[in-house]
Amino acid sequence: MSSTNSPTSNAQLQTSGAGLRTPDASRSGPLQGIRVIECGNMVSAPYAAKLMADLGAEVIKVESPAGDASRRRGPYPGNVPHPEKSGTFLYLNTNKLGVTLNLEVAKGQEILHRLVKEADLVIHNYHPTRMAEVGMDYDILRQINPRVVMTSISPFGQTGPNRNLHAQELTMWSAGGIVYLGGVSGRPDMPPLKTFGQQAGFQGGVNAANGSLAALFGRFRSGKGQHVDISVQECLVAIMENNYISWPYDHSISSRLGFRLIPQDVFQCRDGFIYFLAIEDHQWKGAVELMGNPDWAAMDIFQDFPSRSANWDVLKTLLEEWMADKSLQEVYHAAQARRVPFAPVSTMGDLINSKHLNARGFFAEISHPQTGNLKYPGAPYRFSATPWALRRPAPCLGQHNSEVYGRIGLSQAEINELKQQGTI
Amino acid sequence: MSENLPLSGVRIADFTWVWAGPFATVQLAHLGAEVIRIETQQRVCVTRRIPPFAEGQPGVNRSGYYNQYNQGKESIFLNLKDPQALEIAKKLVAASDVVSENFAAGVMDKMGLGYEVMRKIKSDIIMISMSGYGAVGPESPYVSYGPAQAPLSGLSSLTGFADFPPMHVGFSYGDPNGGLHGAFAVLAALMHRARTGEGQYIDLSQWESSIAIIGEGMMAYTMNGTPPSRIGNRDPHMSPHGLFHCQGEDRWVSIVVASEEEWQRFCQGVGQPGLAIDPRFSSLEARKKNEDALEALITTWTEMLTAEEVTQKLQAVGVAAFPAVTNKELAEDPHLQNRGFFVELPHPEVGVRRHAGVPWIFSDMPCQVRRPAPCAGQDTDDVLRRVLGYSPDEIAAFRAKGVLT
Repeated sequence: MSSTNSPTSNAQLQTSGAGLRTPDASRSGPLQGIRVIECGNMVSAPYAAKLMADLGAEVIKVESPAGDASRRRGPYPGNVPHPEKSGTFLYLNTNKLGVTLNLEVAKGQEILHRLVKEADLVIHNYHPTRMAEVGMDYDILRQINPRVVMTSISPFGQTGPNRNLHAQELTMWSAGGIVYLGGVSGRPDMPPLKTFGQQAGFQGGVNAANGSLAALFGRFRSGKGQHVDISVQECLVAIMENNYISWPYDHSISSRLGFRLIPQDVFQCRDGFIYFLAIEDHQWKGAVELMGNPDWAAMDIFQDFPSRSANWDVLKTLLEEWMADKSLQEVYHAAQARRVPFAPVSTMGDLINSKHLNARGFFAEISHPQTGNLKYPGAPYRFSATPWALRRPAPCLGQHNSEVYGRIGLSQAEINELKQQGTI
Repeated sequence: MSENLPLSGVRIADFTWVWAGPFATVQLAHLGAEVIRIETQQRVCVTRRIPPFAEGQPGVNRSGYYNQYNQGKESIFLNLKDPQALEIAKKLVAASDVVSENFAAGVMDKMGLGYEVMRKIKSDIIMISMSGYGAVGPESPYVSYGPAQAPLSGLSSLTGFADFPPMHVGFSYGDPNGGLHGAFAVLAALMHRARTGEGQYIDLSQWESSIAIIGEGMMAYTMNGTPPSRIGNRDPHMSPHGLFHCQGEDRWVSIVVASEEEWQRFCQGVGQPGLAIDPRFSSLEARKKNEDALEALITTWTEMLTAEEVTQKLQAVGVAAFPAVTNKELAEDPHLQNRGFFVELPHPEVGVRRHAGVPWIFSDMPCQVRRPAPCAGQDTDDVLRRVLGYSPDEIAAFRAKGVLT
């Protein structure tokens, strides 16, 4: 739930031109100068590092010679698999430099150590059972660079009886208690429902980004780095709204089967779906007005919030009838004009074409050598003094090997030799 | 108050309410910032008014919703419709490092507390607005509740069972996700200010932060003009991949087989080696083609067992599985307990409750919840005296005039 309020706009910002967010490579972001080594795979660590890279941090992404698994995830242009064209990888790795390195061999770890010497932060999501074999050992890294922070993202954290369990996105959404909340209400025969995509990964990522910056602040005070332990399960328990805390407070169990506590649902219009929500009485009155004050709306059973909740099944049928032949966008804007918080169930196409998002400059067009120009989701925030900026697309596999390894003093001959050995 | 936390010494004038904003600032409170929530009796925060209440007894200080997401903060009453209250608010801004708010766009300006005003009061102030639609753009004045973010962002259109309408995600996901991105933005701005002395204004859109976490869906559309179809709990690259019914009422287990090697081990774990050579399931392609039959077969097995037994058998062979746990199981979870995740501090009205704690463990900093959520307005006098330097007489005069309500 979130804010409601009056319909004035922020004239000051609109007229000052601070509104439009043109990617601006000439001003550096707020994290400019921070050096990050990301040993990430799939979503969590790569997203954490992307958040930082997009705000100006220098991120060196270290991939195994086989590459990040998100290169094999897709989606691909024309649905033809290609490791340089996976949408998941391209989106999650903007603004990073990319190197390859086999961390399973001693030589690879030695090179990692040379990178760590110059770094502020190492962030990874290797499973705790694999960390030692790939050199993610904070006691070793802190000897090399006492100021370096290491952030480890793992399914269940670095300690505790479940530390070693195998996990995937879906099993984490389950272990975090969230999957039990999603699904079709009133259908106990159907399973709980996973939310689209890699949400456990994203939540692990944004929490890891916060923990990492926090540890860098801690370093201002102590002069020393430290190890940050992020458990994805804990990140999820922390965001369950009032569901987790219900047990300690009133011993109630939350599930998808009892989800409809408030009158809200998705309705089919003639050209799409709309989300109906009317919590406050004035919102309900606005919705009734929008529907042309039908006689049924005056019935006692819809008189107040509790009665609308109790008689939701009846109300829902009436709303279904009214919505069926309406235009989604017309209903949405007309409702909002009356301060009724309806929302469209946006399709991806609706978003790309949204006047609002485009006026804000949300989408960023990025040119990549293998895919050409594509629109990507941009930043969810704009900074007035230090703009978000897109400086480069996601790296091709090993694209910056010579540049990065040259910087730590390896000669081209050495780099070639490492390549032959399969170390990079 | 500990002086050794990452944000020790940072003060936040927190005008946020409901959930997205308070969730951003609770992260900063966990990290050592002094977060002062400006509340009012004229319009009590929504989360103080909705369940769960301790033992089901309503009361503004008894909601678990508020008490979970405002741990470690202070609460003062200011009736911002009163000009003197507004002056007090500005004085608080002058004494703060960060101002946070999540009203709809324009509301703070209308109250006389917009960024241009704030920066005149304190030139290096960092201000973050976290509205549903963002501070600018044609729809910025629109009303947005967190649950609307899943539909609005496109997440709902991608979530759901085949042949069913788009689905909600079971909770108001847009709020905490917006709040966490907001906390990150504030940390980044503080990092910039720490190094340059420059403050700034951050315009966060909850809508955009919800789109940021469906990159895979957006990219499918921008590449090929078609969004991914709703496929329930299945996955295009893994099978089996789903939730399976187990013994007991509404008990389910999640199972993911991510590779051919795991498929072989899965068949061992199920105790049916014959499955491994069944041509209907011998490759990912075959399993995707016969997924209905495969899921029916697995359900026959899982229904003979508890979700915990299935988990144990599959974990033993290296396959990801976990029960779809309830909030009760989480609150009683020995693993979370062992890690010290829970916070059990005495609250004056609801006593000790098992709250969820901080999402990070730092090896060298004792970051943890330092005090329970405040009762409404409990820190008014303390903040006015300690932070703003008002005398007891001045405070009494404000109170008599209804400024502190």
